[in-house]
Amino acid sequence: MLLAILFSNFAGHIILKRFNGVPSEERLHWRTFLVKLGADNLKGARNEERAFCFFTKNSNSITSMNLVVKFKSVYIVYTVLGGVRIYIVGKDEYDELALTEVMFVITSSIKDACGKSPSERLFLDKYGKICLCLDEIGILENTEKDRIRRRIGLKPPNPTEI
Amino acid sequence: MAQPLVKKDDDRDDEADYSPFLGIEKGAVLQEARVFNDPQLDPRRCSQVITKLLYLLNQGETFTKVEATEVFFAVTKLFQSKDIGLRRMVYVMIKELSPSADEVIIVTSSLMKDMTSKTDMYRANAIRVLCRITDGTLLTQIERYLKQAIVDKNPVVASAALVSGIHLLQTNPEIVKRWSNEVQEAVQSRAALVQFHALALLHQIRQNDRLAVNKLVSSLTKGSVRSPLAQCLLIRYTSQVIHESANNNQAGDRPFYDFLEGCLRHKAEMVIFEAARAITELNGVTSRELTPAITVLQLFLSSSKPVLRFAAVRTLNKVAMTHPMAVTNCNIDMESLISDQNRSIATLAITTLLKTGNESSVDRLMKQITNFMSDIADEFKIVVVEAIRSLCLKFPLKHRSLMNFLSNILREEGGFEYKKAIVDSIVILIRDIPEAKESGLLHLCEFIEDCEFTYLSTQILHFLGIEGPKTSDPSKYIRYIYNRVHLENATVRAGAVSTLAKFGAMVDTLKPRVFVLLRRCLFDNDDEVRDRATLYINTLGGDDAVVETGEDVKEFLFGSLDIPLVNLENSLKNYEPSEESFDINSVPKEVKTQPLAEKKAPGKKPTGLGASPAGPPSTVDAYEKLLSSIPEFANFGKLFKSSAPVELTEAETEYAVNVVKHIFDGHVVFQYNCTNTIPEQLLENVTVIVDASEAEEFAEVASKPLRSLPYDSPGQTFVAFEKPEGVPAVGKFSNMLRFIVKEVDPSTGEAEDDGVEDEYQLEELEVVAADYMLKVGVSNFRNAWETMDADCERVDEYGLGPRESLAEAVNAVINLLGMQPCEGTEVVPNNSRSHTCLLSGVYIGNVKVLVRLQFGLDGPKDVAMKLAVRSEDEAVSDAIHEIVASG
Repeated sequence: MLLAILFSNFAGHIILKRFNGVPSEERLHWRTFLVKLGADNLKGARNEERAFCFFTKNSNSITSMNLVVKFKSVYIVYTVLGGVRIYIVGKDEYDELALTEVMFVITSSIKDACGKSPSERLFLDKYGKICLCLDEIGILENTEKDRIRRRIGLKPPNPTEI
Repeated sequence: MAQPLVKKDDDRDDEADYSPFLGIEKGAVLQEARVFNDPQLDPRRCSQVITKLLYLLNQGETFTKVEATEVFFAVTKLFQSKDIGLRRMVYVMIKELSPSADEVIIVTSSLMKDMTSKTDMYRANAIRVLCRITDGTLLTQIERYLKQAIVDKNPVVASAALVSGIHLLQTNPEIVKRWSNEVQEAVQSRAALVQFHALALLHQIRQNDRLAVNKLVSSLTKGSVRSPLAQCLLIRYTSQVIHESANNNQAGDRPFYDFLEGCLRHKAEMVIFEAARAITELNGVTSRELTPAITVLQLFLSSSKPVLRFAAVRTLNKVAMTHPMAVTNCNIDMESLISDQNRSIATLAITTLLKTGNESSVDRLMKQITNFMSDIADEFKIVVVEAIRSLCLKFPLKHRSLMNFLSNILREEGGFEYKKAIVDSIVILIRDIPEAKESGLLHLCEFIEDCEFTYLSTQILHFLGIEGPKTSDPSKYIRYIYNRVHLENATVRAGAVSTLAKFGAMVDTLKPRVFVLLRRCLFDNDDEVRDRATLYINTLGGDDAVVETGEDVKEFLFGSLDIPLVNLENSLKNYEPSEESFDINSVPKEVKTQPLAEKKAPGKKPTGLGASPAGPPSTVDAYEKLLSSIPEFANFGKLFKSSAPVELTEAETEYAVNVVKHIFDGHVVFQYNCTNTIPEQLLENVTVIVDASEAEEFAEVASKPLRSLPYDSPGQTFVAFEKPEGVPAVGKFSNMLRFIVKEVDPSTGEAEDDGVEDEYQLEELEVVAADYMLKVGVSNFRNAWETMDADCERVDEYGLGPRESLAEAVNAVINLLGMQPCEGTEVVPNNSRSHTCLLSGVYIGNVKVLVRLQFGLDGPKDVAMKLAVRSEDEAVSDAIHEIVASG
């Protein structure tokens, strides 16, 4: 299960979020937890792409925030892209490798939509387009940036891709 | 296509402070949304407004029901526009708004139209939206289109339908399951993504049908799966099949191993890793099977991608728990990961190294870890501490450097759990490595000088009291202990007083000085501290002279309290202040396994006990009183043990009967607890006819019938047997309930005068060896074991034959012996191939028994067991072996 995809700026403000099967009362905890995780570990990682990976056995660090997590273990992959930080949380079959795959699709299609690694401002400028990207990516529904670009424009994929 | 809200301007691009959504406000945006109703739609403007709405929703803004409905209706108007970009935004917006059932109707027709449109992209998107917002009834209407879409030649449409199927499986599984033929066809698709989605859905549909999954895997592993993602799924399903088939056939080659091994040479890293992990997780994997997987994981360790390093080191860490030797080849690569900037990777690398490292590398490793400890979180530190503890037990010669390391980190900042892990580790090392004792104790002394955790301070003081007096120079610890009396809270002060007393009792030369200190404690402002000081001054009974302490005093101070605290608490609560002082011997020693259900609890009989005691009743106590009140059983002596009730009837039968076995030295009493569940009947003269022909050593001596058993008012009848004194006789008993039944008039509740004799067959009952064993725990098994005479030890080995798992075998032996597992050793870690279990108990005749069981897996399923028994009587040690041999 892909539990969450979050985008925040460097100040820790959430810009865009997607939750999947996370009860609404737990969402706030996740937001706080992830933003702190990023603040602790992504400092100084500006404008370079770096995928970090974090695994909590029995979710120790999360339970300590009074968050009742039902899952035995969750996987978190997070990175900096230009002026935004991206966090992805998954469990079960969405392990660190699958999440990295999702992260790769997200970063490459965002860069594609913005023309480069976006600053926070550019990200907000292209907000609608990025929402469409995420909608196309779904739960690994599409994995290639070209295909996603074409689909956002409601164009069929390149025949060569098939 | 969505247009940028502000014209793209590279100069202003980096001004991060300026947001296009600055000052955005819900009311204003909702006003703007009225443009959706314009007869002449402006697609660009509409897209901008939708973007703003999306932004608001993402910021956690909520719309009221009225607002949401209004926006939703407005959005549906946008279907009139032919603008492609706008249409795409509309699809997203409808999904985000997740309309309620009555609103869905409005948009259904538009979406249905799109779903049957000639434009593939409209079809795909309409399917996704419709499946997201639809409910069961609507779904049956569109099912036909969805089935077609799954096998559509356009991969976009097929994928959209398949993924929708995956989502719908959660809410409408019975509908999705009807699509399996189409999905099966889609698995063969030439498009990689379609194949991936189809495989995922097909497996979800069939996951409960083992045979179908098996078939699916067999056919796909032969063919070529195009997409790496699908290949990963296939590997997961394959390992699941292997796991399940391993439970059925014991011997022979492992099926599908060649497929997994082949995947190690795949071009996608994802597939390679998945296969490597699947191999390492195989049940009972051999080193030959492991080698190729370890080799590829080793390559990943030096990858430039952190996620691959993490995945590899995490997998190797798991392998190291079961096959440490297989991982040693990777040690050099692993060492370079200690300095990895990702702390998760570094911690995993260290703990793996600690498991696989050899004696010569310990010092080097410790140096590297020291630098690293300061910048990781507590939970990682605990992992490291635990790894160091097991390393030290493995290489006792290295205790000096490891103990130093532990004491250094003990001084640094840290939370309770972390400190507790360190203290526990030091205590275990002191117990197991005699050379480490003195330095370890001093480290602990220094720690309590500045310890903020009361729990840890008292634990350490207790430990010091036991170990300190046995050292070469006990006097050096006194200062640390006495400091506590001045500086700490009452709990710690009381602990310190007890510890001082122990030093006084054990070390005769220190006694006068300890007395001086204890006397000072008499003026403490806390009751408990003063009480303890008074107690110890009196028991040690010195008048400042250097005299030897009596054995009974030592027993009082150091003897373990072999009574469960719960039982003691209950007995104290039940004790009524009187002339007769409280007798600690009256406290039952047996650990209570499970509280009896209220209905079955004895003592409801009018002839029995008075008011039932407050709190959970101490059952053994209650049984003893009950039995001694019956004249026939009064001369049987002291009750040794009462079993938990054994049900003799199925649930919800006319008469519910369970039996409690009461064991005396020369007798056994069966107490049948009967309940009549038929309102129209009254039972009289209820007895149980017991046939003991399969229990040769037992002879029936008494039977106490139950005079009357009205509806829903439980009563007891008893049957007593004589058996050879002190002998753990076993046997099987068949039971028949015999009674006179009388009809009861439901309106008046009066019974008729005449009754009919009737019988009711009950299930059989067995007296087994475990009935002669009391579950009595010991606080420190090692100490208890060593104080027991080694001459009475009996050791032998047994083959337990093929077993389901090690844990199952361990449980079976524990139940056979009926003893109390100590120190949590009844829990067998997953995947372990050997296990040691410690048991203690009291055998009939009040003989203490300790058992050490060592289990090992011999071959794939066969369990071998080494049984060592120590007891106060060698005949009992032999008897325990007999129980196991005949069980």
